[in-house]
Amino acid sequence: MIPQAGKPINSDPLPAGCYRLGGSAASIAYGMNRFCHALLVAANRDAFKADPAAAMQAAGLSPAETAMVNARDWLGLVRHGVSPFLLFRLSGALGMGLAATGAQMRGQTLEEFMQTRKITGAR
Amino acid sequence: MATIVGGLGSPHAPSIGAAIDRGLTQAPDWKPLFDGYQPMRQWLAEKRPDVLIMIYNDHFTSLFLDNLPTFALSVAPVHRIADEGFGPRPLPPVPGDAQLAWHLANALVADEFDLSISHDLPLDHGCLTPLSALWDWTAGWPGRVVPIQINVLQFPLPSARRCFRLGQAIRRAVLAYPVDCKVAIVGTGGLSHQLGGERFGFINPVWDEEFLDRLETEPESLAAMSHREFIERGGTEGIEEIMWLCMRGALAPKVRRVHRNYYHATLTGYGQLVLEDMAYEPAQALTT
Repeated sequence: MIPQAGKPINSDPLPAGCYRLGGSAASIAYGMNRFCHALLVAANRDAFKADPAAAMQAAGLSPAETAMVNARDWLGLVRHGVSPFLLFRLSGALGMGLAATGAQMRGQTLEEFMQTRKITGAR
Repeated sequence: MATIVGGLGSPHAPSIGAAIDRGLTQAPDWKPLFDGYQPMRQWLAEKRPDVLIMIYNDHFTSLFLDNLPTFALSVAPVHRIADEGFGPRPLPPVPGDAQLAWHLANALVADEFDLSISHDLPLDHGCLTPLSALWDWTAGWPGRVVPIQINVLQFPLPSARRCFRLGQAIRRAVLAYPVDCKVAIVGTGGLSHQLGGERFGFINPVWDEEFLDRLETEPESLAAMSHREFIERGGTEGIEEIMWLCMRGALAPKVRRVHRNYYHATLTGYGQLVLEDMAYEPAQALTT
């Protein structure tokens, strides 16, 4: 079926626990996503680790965004509009691996999450 | 004239590239996946395509939200190995095919796919993982690569049908390329996985197997699906399956399956596929 003219094909509500980057939330979270993106560069990671508050202020993060980073509130950041691929750059810079970051979003410890997996030696 | 020797499907998770670099391909939990690459490598060694058209997505490595194209085509003569934050992988730079890429650019835009043209697109795991698993690159890459990048990260994404039709347009363009050249199309990513939100870690092997069935025999039915349906059944990042649909669009309506494997690891359902056209019908393929 071809979508009707003008009907947004991407606007259906998603299942519970699913988020998408886009729309006005992406505009609001652009600075936060850009901050995470910059952590691809080692010098930016080092500056962030050395003085998180200064780095976040220099990047122009909002007080709410700064608070979520300080609280390691990964789920809050995803709901805010941060792409998971960029979130992992942030959590990684703070020493938290991908699976541990994801487990926290599920409300689990890394150990609890890994117990739900059949294969654990190959991501 | 150029020919299409077939289409391949491969996951593109960075962990697979890391397993190659660390020599873990025979580790017990990795072996079922890398065993699944052997028939694909053998098929490539027999068919010897000159060019792989890689349908992939960048992961905010070389492209970012400041200017994010829906479709991007690389005309670069050579592609750098991107640094994804841990230093570039130890792979040789990947040769492009500027002549074919410019032909594709002209043909696809004439066919109403107004894609971005890139002269310098360092490749990230979206392209390099399948490439480094499929081709033996230790003595240099055995062929050239034309990367086509699809936005699957920021909505609005192109529809599944749009990706399928892009594949059909790629087929028309390749078959009209007046140069002796063997081309294979590689769809990358997926299958089911989810990396954000409370549903992190979602894998759906039942859906993945159904997707592989339908991709082979009734791809139009997948092209009709909404993004929501893909996400519900395959997870938010499972939406990468629309890139496999692009590959499938570049093949004939009826295909022959040469190889299929499925394995799911900790976070992702991994599908591996080789398809060939059932009957080579260039005259029919050239019609819209």
